[in-house]
Amino acid sequence: MWKYVIRRLLYAIPTLFGISVIVFLITRLAPGDPIRLYTFGALNVTEEDIQGLRAYYGLDQPLASQYVNWITKVVRGDFGMSLIYHQPALGLLFERMGATLQLAFSALFLQLVIGIPLGVIAALRRGSWVDNVIRVFGVIGHAIPQFWLGLMAIILVSVTLRLLPSQGVLTVGKDIWDIPDRIRHIIMPAFVLALAGIANYSRYLRTETLDVIGQDYVRTARSKGLRERTVVYVHALRNALIPMVTALGGLLAVLVSGALVVEQVFTWPGVGQFTYAAARQKDYPVIMAGVMVASTLLVLSYLIRDIAYAIVDPRIKVK
Amino acid sequence: MRHWRTTLAVIATVALVGTACGPSQESGAGGGTSAPEEKPVAGGRVIYGDVPDIQRLNPSTSNDATSSRVSDKIYEKLIIADYKTGEIKPWLGTWTLSSDGLTYTWTIDPKANWSDGKPIIGNDFLARVKMQGRSKVTPNKSVFNDVEGYQDYSTGKATSISGIQIDSANPKKFTVKFTKVFCPALANVFGSAPMPEHIFGKYTVDNDPSKVVDEAPENNAPPVASGPFKFKEWRKGDQVILTRNENYWKGAPYLEEWVQKVVADSTVLAAQLKTGELTAGLLQPGDVADLSKVDTLKLYKWPDNGYVYLGWRTNNPNVAFLGDKRIRQALMYGINIDEVVKAVLFGEGTKQLAHTPPVAWAAAPASELNAYAYDKNKAEDLIKSAGYTKGSDGVYAKDGKPLAVTVVTNQGNKTRETFLQVAVEQYKQIGVKITPKLEDFTALVPKLTGGSPEVEAVIIGWQLGADPDPFTIWHSSNVASPTKAGNNFVGYSNPEVDKLIDQGRNGPDCSQAARQKVYQQMNKILNDEVPYMFGFAQNRILATDARIRGIVPGPFSPNGDWNIHEWWIKK
Repeated sequence: MWKYVIRRLLYAIPTLFGISVIVFLITRLAPGDPIRLYTFGALNVTEEDIQGLRAYYGLDQPLASQYVNWITKVVRGDFGMSLIYHQPALGLLFERMGATLQLAFSALFLQLVIGIPLGVIAALRRGSWVDNVIRVFGVIGHAIPQFWLGLMAIILVSVTLRLLPSQGVLTVGKDIWDIPDRIRHIIMPAFVLALAGIANYSRYLRTETLDVIGQDYVRTARSKGLRERTVVYVHALRNALIPMVTALGGLLAVLVSGALVVEQVFTWPGVGQFTYAAARQKDYPVIMAGVMVASTLLVLSYLIRDIAYAIVDPRIKVK
Repeated sequence: MRHWRTTLAVIATVALVGTACGPSQESGAGGGTSAPEEKPVAGGRVIYGDVPDIQRLNPSTSNDATSSRVSDKIYEKLIIADYKTGEIKPWLGTWTLSSDGLTYTWTIDPKANWSDGKPIIGNDFLARVKMQGRSKVTPNKSVFNDVEGYQDYSTGKATSISGIQIDSANPKKFTVKFTKVFCPALANVFGSAPMPEHIFGKYTVDNDPSKVVDEAPENNAPPVASGPFKFKEWRKGDQVILTRNENYWKGAPYLEEWVQKVVADSTVLAAQLKTGELTAGLLQPGDVADLSKVDTLKLYKWPDNGYVYLGWRTNNPNVAFLGDKRIRQALMYGINIDEVVKAVLFGEGTKQLAHTPPVAWAAAPASELNAYAYDKNKAEDLIKSAGYTKGSDGVYAKDGKPLAVTVVTNQGNKTRETFLQVAVEQYKQIGVKITPKLEDFTALVPKLTGGSPEVEAVIIGWQLGADPDPFTIWHSSNVASPTKAGNNFVGYSNPEVDKLIDQGRNGPDCSQAARQKVYQQMNKILNDEVPYMFGFAQNRILATDARIRGIVPGPFSPNGDWNIHEWWIKK
């Protein structure tokens, strides 16, 4: 087992390296110039000032040596200073990680507690109007773009009905530990972020439950005279949930990257909002740090998925 | 969301983002909005919505309008621009100028202290100049270039700045000597707020140029303030909280707190003003009709010291015809700007006829400018007089070269995109073909400041500072080229204009009357030459909670908050 984990971790190194090269090239070759952008409109800025700044950040070097400089520092844990904030890029990202994780886990929670029961109910009432409604919801939930849903939710829930706050994590002036206020702020963004996942899980679980319910051991359980509820929730659901582990893997990373749009719409001060702003300003060190952190999370979550898979399903063994 | 961000980013030649003022009234009643029987009361907070987050709270290293909005409330400047006229007036300091026009003698107000009780002194201004000079990351390094000894200090060749001397008897008195007469000095040099030497002094080491302020933690969490508010907390990506400075030299402000909150875009900003989550914010014209119906809000409108224009490249061989004044004049006559203002700004703007907006003292009187009233026939006559004939496709051409221009603007800015659409339509009617092109702001800026031949014409805007010096925009030494960045994107070069700009900048007569004459003349030439279709000046529109009193907005206070210390909230 440990051997497997270590081997997978070693595999991760070339993967991350490859990602770093590609992202580095994409950010550098995209049109635009962070120094010209940053100095735009500065009073009395001279060409020498611009060249000086470019040299200070090493942007006057050939691309290859820029990459080598960057990667040698990254190996030592130094992602460089943000061009915009003049603070370490990685530190800035981690400062915002808390907000993103709060949002991601809230969304995950909603996906599970809403998505799973919906899927099971749809399967048990197969063909009924309930099933149809849930299936239609599944398609719609998957198709609605997050930014649109977010804006509509703000207009309806915040502006028209005045039920929930539309932006940020906390009402201005409230104590940072005011949990009820925080919950009121997280409900809308978490729902918007969760919607596609809820739809996904309900569809997924409907199929799995239908599959499992037709199997012999379920019939055996029924024929033993067990109550229907026990049959479904103890025997059938447990097995139907096994493939869900696959879906859960990578979910964290997907939620983190998916939070970009939701964070932007709801001004949620997380990693997504921050990386997006950095991309708009061509803040190379922050973009690179953001992408590398997200990639590392993705690689790790796939690893965790595979291990979890082996634990949940005795038919699979890691070698 | 890009809309706002880019609007804010295109802030050029910003000498004094955020402050402007006349002498303060001791009574504290700012005027304008408060009925005479209302008595100001202390307390309450203003929650101001802004689209991007702040970047840094050390004005010596920052270059963005959002950060300035906050740091201007923490660090007070020596001078202030009158919010109505832009005239520079004494504020934290008073000055006298030597007869040769080179040496300013400053005295800082005797009452003026930092929030920790230490007096604000000449050394604090010196600390500001030193930290900016040695900073590796500041875009504002050259602001003090004309101060004697500054460049040597900045490069580490000298361990002191010979041009700045502190009076040994009175630490609040100091002199600043320039190497040459520099008329915009008051706004552009002394508009740099003194920084607390007792906090930041340790980061700049005179004999070690490698020691710089750039990574000082105080840059993001200022421990002391000279302005009406003190820094309390920056919740990154969310809000900055400032709290009342009880030691403010003009008397503690009424407001308890100023919170600047990040919002996603202008639509959300408008929505949050409605719900009361925000109590102040600058609006886009499109939101005015809706928000003026909300009775918990009050709207303030005032003309801007800036404009949105369509600039023609006069030095691009691909569009050589734009070098011909007759063609440019035809393009000025051939578009109905009043229609544009109606369509784009919902009426919240006025046609611009020359560089200096009419609100500034340097503007030429409208009576002396050609108004270029919309006239399609006149436009076509001018094109014909330049030797062009209309082809079967309805486009004028000469020697097989049609009058066809690609106009680029930054994507996501609705005002400019609509302006571009209208230009395509209306210029087609006078036989000029416009190909619209949208480009991301990040990609567009380097092409503009680098003089890329890809740019044939551009729609973009200027937000101007209190001093009318247009050197960076119109002087031929600032023509944008691949080897030298410049704000003269259109490549305009006119020796007569250069001479007038030099005169307005380097005197020898720096009096407002002398400079006014020079700039009026320059504006008349630009009005005749029209290297830009000068477009329009957009009104600035501030929406606030109707209970907030004391707001006195004006063109030289772009955020309407120059007298924030006099704002108060009716209970």
